[in-house]
Amino acid sequence: MPAILEKGPAADKYGPLTARAFQRLRTGLFYLSVAVFCAGLPFILSFALGYKFNLHTFKFTKTGIIFIKTQPEGVSIYFNNKLLNDKTPASIQELLPGSYNIRLELKNHYPWRADVEVEEGKVSRVDKVILFPLRPDLQQLNQKKISVFRAYPQQRAIYYLDKDEALVYKSDLNGENFQDIASLPENFPEITGWEVSPDQAKLFLFGAHQIAVAYLDSSDVYAYSDSPIILDYPRRKICKVFWHSDSYHLVVVTNKDIEVIEARPQASGVRLVRLNPGEVSVFYDGSEDMLYFTDPQRDADNLIYNNLYKMEISPNLYNFRADHAGGLNE
Amino acid sequence: MNRKFILKRFLEIIPGGISWGLIITLVFLAIFKPVACAVFIIIFDFYWIIRTVYLTLLLALAHHRLSRQKNKDWLRLCQDKIFSRRWDRLYQLVIFPVYNEGPEVLRPSLKALAASHYPKDKIIVVLTFEQRNPGAKENALKLESEFAGAFFTQMSTFHPDGLPNEARTKGANATWGAKFAREFLDNRGIHYEDVIISCFDADTCVEKEYFGCLSYNFLVSDKPHQSSYQPMPVYNNNIWQAPGFARIVEISGSFCQMIESMRLEKFVTFSSHSMSFKTLVDIDYWPVNMISDDSVIYWKAFLFYNGDYRVVPLYITVSMDVAYARNIFKTMGVQYRQKRRWAWGVENFPFVVSGFLSRKHIPWFIKIRRSFHLLESHVTWAVWAVILVLIGPLPLFFGGAFFNQMAIGYNLPKITGMLVNFTLFTSLVWIVLSRSILPPRPKTVSWFKNIVMLIEWFSVPFVILILGSTPAIDAQTRLLLGRYMEFNPTQKGIKCYNVKNGDFPENVK
Repeated sequence: MPAILEKGPAADKYGPLTARAFQRLRTGLFYLSVAVFCAGLPFILSFALGYKFNLHTFKFTKTGIIFIKTQPEGVSIYFNNKLLNDKTPASIQELLPGSYNIRLELKNHYPWRADVEVEEGKVSRVDKVILFPLRPDLQQLNQKKISVFRAYPQQRAIYYLDKDEALVYKSDLNGENFQDIASLPENFPEITGWEVSPDQAKLFLFGAHQIAVAYLDSSDVYAYSDSPIILDYPRRKICKVFWHSDSYHLVVVTNKDIEVIEARPQASGVRLVRLNPGEVSVFYDGSEDMLYFTDPQRDADNLIYNNLYKMEISPNLYNFRADHAGGLNE
Repeated sequence: MNRKFILKRFLEIIPGGISWGLIITLVFLAIFKPVACAVFIIIFDFYWIIRTVYLTLLLALAHHRLSRQKNKDWLRLCQDKIFSRRWDRLYQLVIFPVYNEGPEVLRPSLKALAASHYPKDKIIVVLTFEQRNPGAKENALKLESEFAGAFFTQMSTFHPDGLPNEARTKGANATWGAKFAREFLDNRGIHYEDVIISCFDADTCVEKEYFGCLSYNFLVSDKPHQSSYQPMPVYNNNIWQAPGFARIVEISGSFCQMIESMRLEKFVTFSSHSMSFKTLVDIDYWPVNMISDDSVIYWKAFLFYNGDYRVVPLYITVSMDVAYARNIFKTMGVQYRQKRRWAWGVENFPFVVSGFLSRKHIPWFIKIRRSFHLLESHVTWAVWAVILVLIGPLPLFFGGAFFNQMAIGYNLPKITGMLVNFTLFTSLVWIVLSRSILPPRPKTVSWFKNIVMLIEWFSVPFVILILGSTPAIDAQTRLLLGRYMEFNPTQKGIKCYNVKNGDFPENVK
């Protein structure tokens, strides 16, 4: 360390700490800093690398870490049946390799327990734990007798059907504003499926050979009557029905074909695809008006294979003509 | 190419090569060997914590000395009978090298001189203007008439452009002014050893007791002619008006200088400083083709006296302007260029090392130690913020799942967090000390600015990266590539008259 010091009488004029004393103090601080660095570095590095200093053997032993994170936080940790002071999220450091029992407990919640393996120099993460409450927070939403329901979180609405009374109810997601909004056709055969239109003004339900469309909003421009419209499919079995994004057309998948039909009285459908006999599976992407469906096809080896097709219904919908509709096998 | 040129280029490449080598090596380590990189970062973090605490303690000690010596009647001490005969002969020669600063910048500086607590018939002022500046003569006449009779003499001289072997640097202008003053001293029969020369930036305002303090330290020094005298630079002239980050940078700069004043073995002249005129003549004045004239003058003297030369810290402030412009982006640019110019002090390294190689009388121990200090300070300046702010998180980013499930991957952010907490603690000390060196708040500035000035310290990580490391890397890269910088004076002139000295006489005639 340097010893360039201010000399002469000036050194004595600085008060209690002379210039020379300042330099001595500085030199002392410097060496103290070096000593702290040299002494502290092995411990910092060993801690960082997961080593533990054994005071009995005076040796470093490589250890591991258990990191615990829960939902909710603040959970009590039992480590090998011993309660720790820390609550989650927490880490248990300097663990020798091996298996450790962890139990997590929170009042009024189901406890969680597991044996956690610790490897040297590694972190065992227990960070996807959810503690579920003992008594779930239940809330009844319907205020009348109902048969089935369907929730629309984006529209913040729930629709209920009462098949016995043939009524449609609606409420918000908390069951508030519960009210009956439409009637279903009486004596409708067994309901296979139902769906509210994207504009929430209509609802269809379908059975094996009939589709009924009920109007939920009387202000809708296409509201023809208070009673539901019935669309019949006497010679075909309806497999699936979807709302088109315009909330006016229905995409109907039967056991023989796929057609589009307007939701109005006396409407006649436009057949888009004729299907081969066999089981059909379908998916309709309402945001893109895209229909995905399967159809069995006979290949060159004379065996039948199920193929997946995609059909866009949106842009050319109004150009469909019956004569355009062809079967995939044609 | 001769050997001298090859040696010079080799030495120029070393600082930038080490800085870039460190940064690139650490980035590669973070990608391919994240554990090794993390180990290095943890060692560096710990080193930085210790260093920060140590330097903060030195700052507190320097601040203690500064506050103890504030308002001391140095002149009375000089008049002590021990020194009185020598003091009677002393003259203060003050040179202001003027680039293109106008009277609005120089006037407060001259007023501060005129208001200083020192016999005015012992103060010689030389304003050395650049001849190429079209308004120079008019400004000189204006200032001469305003300050006529305020000093023993006030002279103006005009440094011609394009003298042989000269670059457009402040050192060339100051040298011209010093040679001009030498003629004056010769004509008056004043001995060089009785003259202390102070080379001040145009915006430098001295405290009232500056020349008393300087004279006293000169008189009590064992080797007054083998010493430079360095006051503590503060940027108080317009600090209340400057943008937050510029203020932080300048306060940090002042603090760094105060810390350096406690490390005498590393202490080098910076910005405005003073020395014996005899020594200046002996070592052939300031360099006329180097930008960092303020530090090179120290190294010239150090080499001339074979290592027996020192810088004596003066615990008294000289106040300058915070460099800023009309909007925040331009201020950022001004600050960046100023810091790059300071960082260009890295050009001292090849100058000093090649000087050491040709001097046999300087002990090898001193040569190695001083060269190492110089190199280490510039490399640290360039890389420390990059390592802490940018490279620190890289092992976590590139290490992937394997690294993150290792103990070191888990502990790295915890230890880095500890560093941040320590930095916050030391920042608190810096904040408290910074308040004590601030001038009183002008009445035109809102009280709310006090709060703003506290909050702006949170911008330190951003500021140190943008205006700390980056200009230093820029300067070192230019030197490495041989793309030498030209002198680029800092834009100043937005000045708030009176600050610390406050009571400049309205009419000094």
